[in-house]
Amino acid sequence: MALSGVEIFKLLPKTNCKECGVPTCLAFAMKLAAKQASLDQCPYASDEAKKVLGAAAEPPIRVVTIGTGDNAVKMGDEVVLFRHDKKFFNPTAIALAVNDDDANIDAKVAAVKNSVIERVGQFLRVNAITVIDKSGDAAKFAAVVAKVVAADIPVILHTKNAAVAEAGVKSAAGKKPMIYAADESNAEAMAGVAKAGGASLAITAKGLDALTALSEKVKGLGVDDIVLDSGARTAKEMIHDYTMIRRAAAKKNFKPLGYPVIGFACRDNAQAETAITAVGIMKYASLVVVNSIEKWQNIALFTLRQNIFTDPQVPMQVEEKIYKIGEPDANSPLMITTNFSLTYFIVAGEVENSKVPCWLAIMNNEGLSVLTAWAAGKFTAGNIAKFINEIGADKVVGHKELIIPGYVSVLSGSLEDKLGGGWKVVVGPREANQLPAFLKQKVAA
Amino acid sequence: MIIVGERISVIAKRVREALIKRDPEPLKELAIQQVQAGAHYVDLSIGPAEDDGEELMDWGVKVIQSVVQAPICLDTTNPKAMRAGLKAHNNTWGMPLINSASGEQERLNTMMPLAGEFGAEIIALTLNERGIPAMAEDRCVIAAEIMGKALECGVPMENIWFDPLILPVAYQQDKCKESIRAIKMFQELNDPPMKTIVGLTNICQGAPKELKPLIIRTFLTLLMYEGLYAAIADPNDKELMAVIKTTDVLMEKKLYAHSYLEM
Amino acid sequence: MAFVVPKETYSGKIYEVTIGKGDKAVTVGGENTLPFLTFEGEVPNRPAIAYEIQDIAPDDWPATVANVYKEVSSNPVTWAKFCQDTLGAKAIALRLIGTHPDRGDASPEAAAKVVADVLAAISVPLIILGSNHIEKDGPVLKAAAEAAKDSGAVLGKAQQENYKTIVAAAAANNLRLVCMSQLDVNLAKQLNILTTQMGFDKEKILMDPMSSALGYGIEYTYSVMERIRLAALQTNDPMMQTPMIADIGANVWKAKETAADIAEWGDVAQRGITWEATTGVSMLLAGAELLVMRHPEAVAVVERTIDELMQ
Repeated sequence: MALSGVEIFKLLPKTNCKECGVPTCLAFAMKLAAKQASLDQCPYASDEAKKVLGAAAEPPIRVVTIGTGDNAVKMGDEVVLFRHDKKFFNPTAIALAVNDDDANIDAKVAAVKNSVIERVGQFLRVNAITVIDKSGDAAKFAAVVAKVVAADIPVILHTKNAAVAEAGVKSAAGKKPMIYAADESNAEAMAGVAKAGGASLAITAKGLDALTALSEKVKGLGVDDIVLDSGARTAKEMIHDYTMIRRAAAKKNFKPLGYPVIGFACRDNAQAETAITAVGIMKYASLVVVNSIEKWQNIALFTLRQNIFTDPQVPMQVEEKIYKIGEPDANSPLMITTNFSLTYFIVAGEVENSKVPCWLAIMNNEGLSVLTAWAAGKFTAGNIAKFINEIGADKVVGHKELIIPGYVSVLSGSLEDKLGGGWKVVVGPREANQLPAFLKQKVAA
Repeated sequence: MIIVGERISVIAKRVREALIKRDPEPLKELAIQQVQAGAHYVDLSIGPAEDDGEELMDWGVKVIQSVVQAPICLDTTNPKAMRAGLKAHNNTWGMPLINSASGEQERLNTMMPLAGEFGAEIIALTLNERGIPAMAEDRCVIAAEIMGKALECGVPMENIWFDPLILPVAYQQDKCKESIRAIKMFQELNDPPMKTIVGLTNICQGAPKELKPLIIRTFLTLLMYEGLYAAIADPNDKELMAVIKTTDVLMEKKLYAHSYLEM
Repeated sequence: MAFVVPKETYSGKIYEVTIGKGDKAVTVGGENTLPFLTFEGEVPNRPAIAYEIQDIAPDDWPATVANVYKEVSSNPVTWAKFCQDTLGAKAIALRLIGTHPDRGDASPEAAAKVVADVLAAISVPLIILGSNHIEKDGPVLKAAAEAAKDSGAVLGKAQQENYKTIVAAAAANNLRLVCMSQLDVNLAKQLNILTTQMGFDKEKILMDPMSSALGYGIEYTYSVMERIRLAALQTNDPMMQTPMIADIGANVWKAKETAADIAEWGDVAQRGITWEATTGVSMLLAGAELLVMRHPEAVAVVERTIDELMQ
């Protein structure tokens, strides 16, 4: 959020010297505000002016990364409150909480490592582990941290004790851990540990006034990679606090709250925990700590996260190939549609509900839906025929019947011609929800 | 876009006579017509009214608000009459709008405190004793001074509506674009943006009668593009209202629907 | 720097709509801010959840949810009573899927009888939904509306292609109305305009922007709803200020993830429940004031989340 013309004007020399090429400082200030000029055009700009205007050019929410390599988690760098205004950039990370005296640490680390699920060409996973200092024993804590780090999982060091944090940071040397957390009582000590160890530092305070003050204090102690915990724990507190933080940072450029947010979804019941994590994903949390990562929780949350963080301008696409729905054989129906991921999921879903096994040929039309692709010339008789012949459809089915979406029924004659080789084109229904009836009728015939 | 209905003005012969005679009917009729056509405020312009301004304003406000549920734009240079209007105003449907203060010291020092005292909104013309500045930047300097006075008087920034004072295209064509620029720059003077208003009919003064509506509505489109908040205009000009609705949709201020014009 | 709470003020407000009658009536809507942001406005009514029942026994519901109702779902009256009395439903949504030409093609008269029977058996509000067949829904909902006259029930759904008959039926029988458009803010507005131009009271409409299940387009619904709600509050658009309904059970339980026994995806029953609960919570955050759901455990999760949101 840029400074206004008047705010910039207050920082300028106000001499109207015209050396910047503009008659008055006020006019130059207006141009700066409109990003039609840059401060270096003013030979007399003060250091203060340069500092303030420089700060105004930084991203409103700082980028903080935990972990390194392929599994690194990037947080922050968000600019909007509503995904439809642009997009949400960094998908909310999920971190499993593990007590350092837990008997099943190895199993939990393995569960995080094996949490990967593939959907629409993306590999979705539980992103990090928070090691909780329950033992009070720095060596024990550090040993657990070492296990997490060895498994190439980003780690959060959850302790109030600076000495324990220091031991953890040593175990995670070079791996960009996060320390949770500094509060009023231990800010100096924790800041020291964070700076020395190249760790980011979460800060916790109750309420946003206290959090603002603590943020300024910690920044003043030399820590730049800050993560915010406002103390919000209920769904209502999370929505309120995280909305206020996002508005302050992204709309008002309020620097003390311009950092990623850490939330806690821990509940006594995995279903309830999943619902609260979902709230965090939709409402601006950069990372959510959970107690439970059952596979059924993961797939729901990964899917929600993937959905909410898609770019509204760029359609998701599935891979071009012939998909099996159920267990089709050489006599099963062969259908074709576009590779817009939503088209694929809905059509595949309806075919599954029909219980009729089918082959579903998905053609790359750059993620457009059927009608849009057809209108754009990307789903024509010519290029469908080419695709069918090249993808080896005749090796998959013994018959030569291709079912096309109802919306492009106009193509059927021309497509048959272009396919040649005895291919017959059958026009399917216009709406996906008519597929079950259509397919059942087809195989009954 | 906020519309201040301009038709109850001492300049119009029928209204002038009604004001003199204290005949309420023409005022009532015009107030109802304007509000039904979508006016958010009804302007009551009594002129300088040196002799009986207070009583006239008091009467006019009550007559208008007896038939429409809308706030009034109190249009007079007479501070006593302005005070009387503010006192008589029924605030149920919105606070009154003082028309107007300016950068001229006397006018600023009499009108702005009234806005503070009554919690009213206030139109502020960005001219001063030296006249109307040529450059938009210089109007901003006057605007900044007006904002300073507002702070002194306890008037919140969101109650100020800046008016750059529109000059007729027939006589001052070279000043038109600068007014549009001024509207844009006024908004940048604060966060949230300052409100802005123009008296639309000024743009077509002196032009042939048949061209006036065309000039007005085209000029309004340009101003709306730069974010104009309000206009003093004739809400019963159907084509003007249609242009406002269409521009609102094109500028994403109102959701499009095929029947948007009927709303 | 001092922190100042960044409050927004809006010029618009959502209408309050009451469904049902008497002491079991349910009122939704009335907010003057975005969902649950009580630090800057008011959220006077708790969102409500209606349990979905059908006029015919469901043959296409996954086992996880079908089993809950297997003793009662062959008869809409026993099914409705079970939801109200055993599950504590605050409202019931009766989907007349049996009237669909592909699902039995039951007549409008038959549908009207089911409606009358269910109404007589329950005291909580009733939402009457057609089978979503454009041509058949007209006569079916007309007959259903007559059977539900003056009951405070909701009739749905009126769509661009068939709204005239359905709007007229709702008006003639003093019912509330669901207007459904296809994931498009402008079409949603247009349908409300057309409906109110017929003389239907804008404060008796529930907007259905067409809900989608998690993984099957939920983000489209989510963003359309956010845009609808922002138009209502920020531009004070009277055509967008109706409460919203999210009819999610029907979409959710078609998803492969609610039925497929795939080890990599975990327990199928819990998975189905969370699929519906997560979809429901998303709809609430996007502004839905009324949800139509199937599984009681999913309803429980959503209710518990609402408890936290409305504290």
